[in-house]
Amino acid sequence: MKNTLLASLLCIAATQVYAGDTLKIAITGPFSGGSAPMGTSMRDGAKLAIAEINAAGGVSVGKTKMKIEVVERDDEGKNDRGALIAQELASMDDLSGVIGTVNTGVVLAGDKHLQEKGITRIITPAAGSASMTQWVNKADKPGAKDLSIFRFAAHDGIQAAMVVEDAIKRKFTKVALLHDSTNYGVSGRDDLLDQIKKQGDKLEVVATEKFNIGDKDMTAQLLSAKAKGAQAILIWGIGPELAAVANGMAKNGLKVPLIGGWTLSMSNFIDNAGSNGNGTLMPQTFIEEPITPRVKSFIESYHKAYGVTRIPSPVSAAQGYDAVLIFAAAVTQAQSTDTHKIKDALEDLKAPVKGVIATWKQPFSKWDPANVQTHEAFRREQAVMGMVSDGRVVFADSADRARLVKSMK
Amino acid sequence: MWKRLLLIRGAELFAFGMLVAIPVFVNNSYALGLLTLLAIYGILLIGLDVSVGYLGQVNLGHAAFLGLGAYASGLCVTLLGFGMPAALGVSLLVGLVIGALLALPALRLEGPQFALATLSFSALTVTTLNEWESLTGGAQGLQLDRPALLGVHLGAAGFYWLCMILLALVWMLMRNLLSSHWGRAFEALRDSPIATDAMGVGTYRFKVAAFAIGSALGSFAGGLYAFNFQYLQPHSFVYELMVILLLGVVLGGRKSLWGAVVGAALIVLLPNLLSNRMLFQVFSALGLLLAVVAGVRGMMNKSTRPFQAIAPIVAMGSLVVGGMLVANTEDWRKAIFALMLFSVVVGLPEGLMGFITRFLSQLFSVAPPPLPAPAALDEVLAARPMQDKPLLELRNLKRYFGGVKAVDDVSMAVHSGHIHGLIGPNGSGKSTAVNVISGLYAPTGGQVLLHGKALPEGSLYQVARVGIARTFQNLQLFGELSALDNVMVALKGVYRCPLPLLLLGFARREEKRAQAQSLALLELVGLAQQARSKAKDLTYGAQRFLEIARALACKPDLLILDEPAAGLAQPDVAQLIAIIKRIHQRGITIILIEHHMDVVSELCDRVTVLDGGKVIAEGSAEEVKRHPLVIQAYLGVEHTE
Amino acid sequence: MSVIVQLVVSGALMGMVYALIAYGFQLTYSTSKSINFGQGELVMLSAFVSLSLINTGLPYWLVVPGGLLFGVLLGLFVERAAVRLALEQKGEGWILLTVIFGLLGFSAAENIWGRDDRPFPTPVPSDPMHFFGIGITPLEISVAIGVLAVMGMVELFKRKTLLGKAFEAVSADRDAAGLMGVSATRIIMLSYGLSGLVAAMAGILVAPITTVGPTMASALILKAFSVAVVAGLDSGFGVVVVGLFLGALESLASFYIGSGWREAPGLILLIMALALRPNGVFGKASIRKV
Repeated sequence: MKNTLLASLLCIAATQVYAGDTLKIAITGPFSGGSAPMGTSMRDGAKLAIAEINAAGGVSVGKTKMKIEVVERDDEGKNDRGALIAQELASMDDLSGVIGTVNTGVVLAGDKHLQEKGITRIITPAAGSASMTQWVNKADKPGAKDLSIFRFAAHDGIQAAMVVEDAIKRKFTKVALLHDSTNYGVSGRDDLLDQIKKQGDKLEVVATEKFNIGDKDMTAQLLSAKAKGAQAILIWGIGPELAAVANGMAKNGLKVPLIGGWTLSMSNFIDNAGSNGNGTLMPQTFIEEPITPRVKSFIESYHKAYGVTRIPSPVSAAQGYDAVLIFAAAVTQAQSTDTHKIKDALEDLKAPVKGVIATWKQPFSKWDPANVQTHEAFRREQAVMGMVSDGRVVFADSADRARLVKSMK
Repeated sequence: MWKRLLLIRGAELFAFGMLVAIPVFVNNSYALGLLTLLAIYGILLIGLDVSVGYLGQVNLGHAAFLGLGAYASGLCVTLLGFGMPAALGVSLLVGLVIGALLALPALRLEGPQFALATLSFSALTVTTLNEWESLTGGAQGLQLDRPALLGVHLGAAGFYWLCMILLALVWMLMRNLLSSHWGRAFEALRDSPIATDAMGVGTYRFKVAAFAIGSALGSFAGGLYAFNFQYLQPHSFVYELMVILLLGVVLGGRKSLWGAVVGAALIVLLPNLLSNRMLFQVFSALGLLLAVVAGVRGMMNKSTRPFQAIAPIVAMGSLVVGGMLVANTEDWRKAIFALMLFSVVVGLPEGLMGFITRFLSQLFSVAPPPLPAPAALDEVLAARPMQDKPLLELRNLKRYFGGVKAVDDVSMAVHSGHIHGLIGPNGSGKSTAVNVISGLYAPTGGQVLLHGKALPEGSLYQVARVGIARTFQNLQLFGELSALDNVMVALKGVYRCPLPLLLLGFARREEKRAQAQSLALLELVGLAQQARSKAKDLTYGAQRFLEIARALACKPDLLILDEPAAGLAQPDVAQLIAIIKRIHQRGITIILIEHHMDVVSELCDRVTVLDGGKVIAEGSAEEVKRHPLVIQAYLGVEHTE
Repeated sequence: MSVIVQLVVSGALMGMVYALIAYGFQLTYSTSKSINFGQGELVMLSAFVSLSLINTGLPYWLVVPGGLLFGVLLGLFVERAAVRLALEQKGEGWILLTVIFGLLGFSAAENIWGRDDRPFPTPVPSDPMHFFGIGITPLEISVAIGVLAVMGMVELFKRKTLLGKAFEAVSADRDAAGLMGVSATRIIMLSYGLSGLVAAMAGILVAPITTVGPTMASALILKAFSVAVVAGLDSGFGVVVVGLFLGALESLASFYIGSGWREAPGLILLIMALALRPNGVFGKASIRKV
């Protein structure tokens, strides 16, 4: 009995001994709990890229090729756990970089520990504006001089701008804002209000209502919007509650468009809203539609690798995938696994990286505490408006499709 | 004596020293982060243990107090520019005040009701923190910088040391509090709130105090939490966290400072360390080994049930096997955590510390600290002069339950220095009458006078305060407390040390005095030798006598004995009679409710007979025995002669 | 006016669901004075199993008994693994063990069925019908009917069958029932089985509305617990009244006070109700006896 135990223990210990020539990357995110569909999609997308790189021999560093080794940490979407994970990662000497996480609160609680050690960190798919704006110059204190934190997601500012733009384009004048009561929803609401003001106050916000995670009955919020004559509902939340809103709109006879953040493309919205979700509009960085062979192969290998027929959150998966590719390119350019050198390379990436979202040319530049854009990869151009149509997200405007295909070249 | 002190204090000092020394040798921000959180959770769980362990209530509001404290400190720093000590002081105060306020409605509740009330409170707190955006920043959270401590900016190690020092401080203060009459009162409340009230200790005051103190520690820990993470969000303080905290207290072991800190270590370290696959596999293999050894041993000497032995083995075994089969253990982390907790809860019902304490006490047999010599009985129960005038008078007393007239217009007088018998068949209203006198029920009508003054109505506590003590027909002992502690809970006129001094440990002398006096009372009822036994482990007769000793600790003018001979064996009855005689000699007036006529005849100066809620006879024992109505009431037949 | 009615109707329907889950709490509390804090996971797991059954192509009328059977088995498992030992030791261990069971069930569901919320097909149409301007879906009506039917059937069982009478006897006085030869252990098992059945029914009924996912019941369960305690843990149909009231109140508060404060009035009323009537609004008041 004891012998077998000992033997098995030794076996386990043996597998923990790695070859010295590996590139160690941490992937963090909520892999359990309410935000898990995004967290696991991101992780699985990233791991798909890693598997492909490893299958091809690894990342070229100088003359050698290095396999990528992954450290996974589930932050459960909890801030204190996020902070501890960041501390743990910050204390690993051989870590080259960190990719991931979904919840803006977790980013805010943890990133200071990574930044302290100068560990290169790519945030994806957390979109809350505060994740990056916390490092810029503020009235009362100067921002970070040298920042090792990058973001690889269309931040809420871009998305809110697009949503508001779209509502104005469609000649609406009265809108209702609906959002969930989490950090994500509230910060989305603030971005929307901010954008409405910036774009000339052409929209009148007749109602601002919120809902909690897990709420299934949205009658009160929707009746309030209906009573005040909203012509469109601008919404910021995540999948299941968004579906409850769409279904509630059908039940209460509120026949107006639903426009909101990219989370409206999550399969748990599309599936659960069914036909009630048709016509819903959202900004997208990636649409699960094989527009090029590259995208087609990504979607197919994801489905095959994880035994699914649809990606729970295609945007997260694609961003996780592309983030790894960009990181690997930076390693190759830096010719080192040293996280500081990788950071420098990321800020000045010479070779274009062919991803599934776009072909990335110089996604980041030297950090400037006065301009958060220097560490934001996404610009307005990378995002398009998507629309739900019979269980899938399609391009709301076919001109966008052609534009994206072009950018992939 | 010294050996004991050396071992216990030595272990505390050693553990503290080790923990404090870690940052000197290990420069690892992760280890430091975990240890800091451990210290903070230690304080938090010591606070939670007051309500969960000592009061024995499922408190689901503690996470909210953590949040309130965190936000209080956070806002003091960001809005008011407070320094660290002032901000932490505010946090402490917030917990104390809100804890006391919450205890008011939650006071009457027990079990699931108490759990729900505290749960609702925490939901309300999170909603408020989330909605009051202008103050708290709402869901977007509150970012703050750790303020200076008296002009010094603390780094990670410095802050860790501060948390450890505060934990040690809390540990010492709480040890002093919980080993004093306060701690005993908290525990007494858990075992029998009715008896606590009836001994004049006042459930109200102590329950509020206990809850407020526990909550204050929770929000104090919250202040440290805020300075540790420097970023707060309302959603960190929800039900999920609460469940984890509760698990920590129980796993560590209730009613134990060590238990709270060990529990904190478990819930802080385990979920984080399980991320490391190798550590997880080592843990599960060790756990399986432990479960097998403990299970086989338990089965061999039949000290555990089969389920208790087998279930942990199955759980840990499935971890070991699962660990080899599953590709990604990180995905299963919650299940792993659950299975480990399951094994501990099933295998070690008294918690980890309870188990370790038992193990250690077998290893080093340590004598408990010696007890003082019993005090002179005169010091405890001063002899009272016999005056033959009414001490207690009932005037037209009525108590109805709906249509049932349990006590219907009863008038009687009990003379000072007498033993007054109260008899009657079952359902005649004796117990109800006594319950009205002692304040358990408010009277429907009529008056009760003590020393010619109206007695407080419907409050056990108030009645006990003016000098009436009682025992209970269905025993209401504090089962988990020792016999000595049972008496010490009720002891009156000894505890004078003000709370601040008591916290600092200046109550040792009066504690010794209380022990001496209580021992004298135990001696009076013949239980001095069993002073250290838990009340629930005493024989039935001894439990009855212990209730009498406890009632005497209130130093009453009037002692009500509610069927003290019920269920006693003959030798015990003889001893009971001797005890009552001894009490009578001290000049204490006694009301004796009894079925045993021989006991009544032997002891009582005067007897009142109730039937159907009315007085049917009164006189000496011999007189009432011959009274026709009495015979009819007892035999149920028409008396013809 | 129609706004108020619509709010009340929609809220009350959620209230019916709270009531059914609350009823599951009552069943076990009445016999054993214990509650399964992992009841939400029971609801969720039963819904997932039913969904898997549907995906195998079984017809709906076979899926329902299958899901219910699974619920009963799971209830029995909880009783055996998490409750019985604690009750034998006369401790409160069942609180923790049922919580732990919940954690385990949650994690298992995440890994077996995935972390995503999924639709639950149902033969009942979900297109709204309109009566006097009030929108209501046949699905919602089926939930209300289902809730009442399950509760009614369990109550009938308790009153009309011999086993049910033994159940009532143990609820009324465990010791006395024991003296009369009724095995309390068996009846407690039965109560957990029934409670599992009720939970499974709740899962199958609400799944088309809430969708099926690991977190589907975590919000419901706290509400159901509130309803059970406020109504009184021995109140029988009292849970329906309180459930309806709480659901409607939440809906109205959300509309008139602000959707962020949706739960606040309910919580305050709840604390007040408890302070005034600790045994619940419909609970039996107990006289303190010594």
